[in-house]
Amino acid sequence: MTAEILRVTGEHMLIVAIAVGVAIIIGIPLGIYCTRNPRAGRVALRVIDAIQTIPSLALFGFLIPVPFIGGIGMRTAIVALILYSLLPIVRNTFVGIRGVDPVVRDAGVALGLTTRQLLFDVELPLAMPSIVAGIRIATVIGIGVATIAAAVGGGGLGTFIFRGVAMVDTRLILAGALPAAALALIADVVLSAVERKMIKG
Amino acid sequence: MKRFLALALLLAACSQKKPIVVGSKNFTESVILGEMVAQKLESAGCTVDRRLNMGGTFVCDSAMTSGALDTYVEYSGTALEAILKQPKADVAAAYAKRGLHWGPPLGFNNTFAMIVRRDDAQRIPLQSISDLAKVAAQFRPGFGYEFVERPDGWNGLLAAYGITFATPPKTMDLGLTYKALASNEVDLIAGNSTDGLIESLGLIALADDRHYFPRYDAAIVYRDDIDKKCKGASKALESLRGKLDDAAMRRLNFEVDGKKRDVAVVAHDALGR
Repeated sequence: MTAEILRVTGEHMLIVAIAVGVAIIIGIPLGIYCTRNPRAGRVALRVIDAIQTIPSLALFGFLIPVPFIGGIGMRTAIVALILYSLLPIVRNTFVGIRGVDPVVRDAGVALGLTTRQLLFDVELPLAMPSIVAGIRIATVIGIGVATIAAAVGGGGLGTFIFRGVAMVDTRLILAGALPAAALALIADVVLSAVERKMIKG
Repeated sequence: MKRFLALALLLAACSQKKPIVVGSKNFTESVILGEMVAQKLESAGCTVDRRLNMGGTFVCDSAMTSGALDTYVEYSGTALEAILKQPKADVAAAYAKRGLHWGPPLGFNNTFAMIVRRDDAQRIPLQSISDLAKVAAQFRPGFGYEFVERPDGWNGLLAAYGITFATPPKTMDLGLTYKALASNEVDLIAGNSTDGLIESLGLIALADDRHYFPRYDAAIVYRDDIDKKCKGASKALESLRGKLDDAAMRRLNFEVDGKKRDVAVVAHDALGR
């Protein structure tokens, strides 16, 4: 039992790590894009909001027949989790950059910084605490949401929860729920520390 | 005047009886049957609280014994093998000991069906569960969690037929299994013999040639105290005895799963006949 818990905990961490990693790679540039093109940005943010409201089982139903990203297994679960993780990351990137004091931005422009330099040397560093907060939220929520991977044969700690619910076996449910809660707490503490460092930074 | 109004409200609140809670399991047939039971009780003048599509067998059963549910439809084989774990027991007597009434059988037998795609069945060929031994090396099974865990489920089936599959089954939400089979993501699923989707998706149910699965006669289970909540409730349920044969149930399932008709309408039409 312990070996199995460790194995599915590993699967669980893998699912969340890949999903949040990809969501960061997509989400931060998307958040920056939204600040540059307010009109398209508004649409993008609406779409990302709307994705959040799709129930996971419905999303799986759509994804199962889709080649490359769908199917039965961990991949479908990761794709769903990426979609759910986008919201906090994109939003916090957007809000973080938009929150940069215009005076600071103008000072940069006055110093002759290019748009690119302005982004990387002024805006992104100042927005970083907000972006890291978004990543933290995405990770902590993702650790909980990733339990639904078990609904599409994706493994992870949800396997115990689904088995436990089907059999009304509280011990099995706890075997999935407690490690997930512990993971979420650890992730929260670690990423909060990173966030504080950024603010002091 | 004010006092009178308050009194009237209080009386109204008191006379309102507790509703009968009707449950069902998490698949189409059970939801249809739950809806039929609910409508039947309503037409007998009872107040009904629907808790349909609530979970698997064990979720429903523990809700019944705890009193959170008053009635749902269960299958004899499931009750004996999975709930009571006494395959040879008399189901009505065993249920009576638990404060539950094994009520009127509805008239059909819904056994597990091991289901494959029609093209696989013709190519290999597959007709019975014994034939699965031919494909055990490359076939990918996929099931809901309950079937894998139940004593009358997957492990018992493998033992009874002496088959070993190369890969363990993919476990997923029960509702996604048909989609997974139709999309070539898995090659073998466990459904119900009365599922309407078997026909409409071009699938084949393999014959249980070693008679591993027992009979699964659908019957309405209700708590012994159901008539206290609503006088005449048990009589209303009794009137559903023998109302549905295998073909009728398959047709109702197809109305909902295949033709996408509303469960409440399909149940209403079925009761009207």
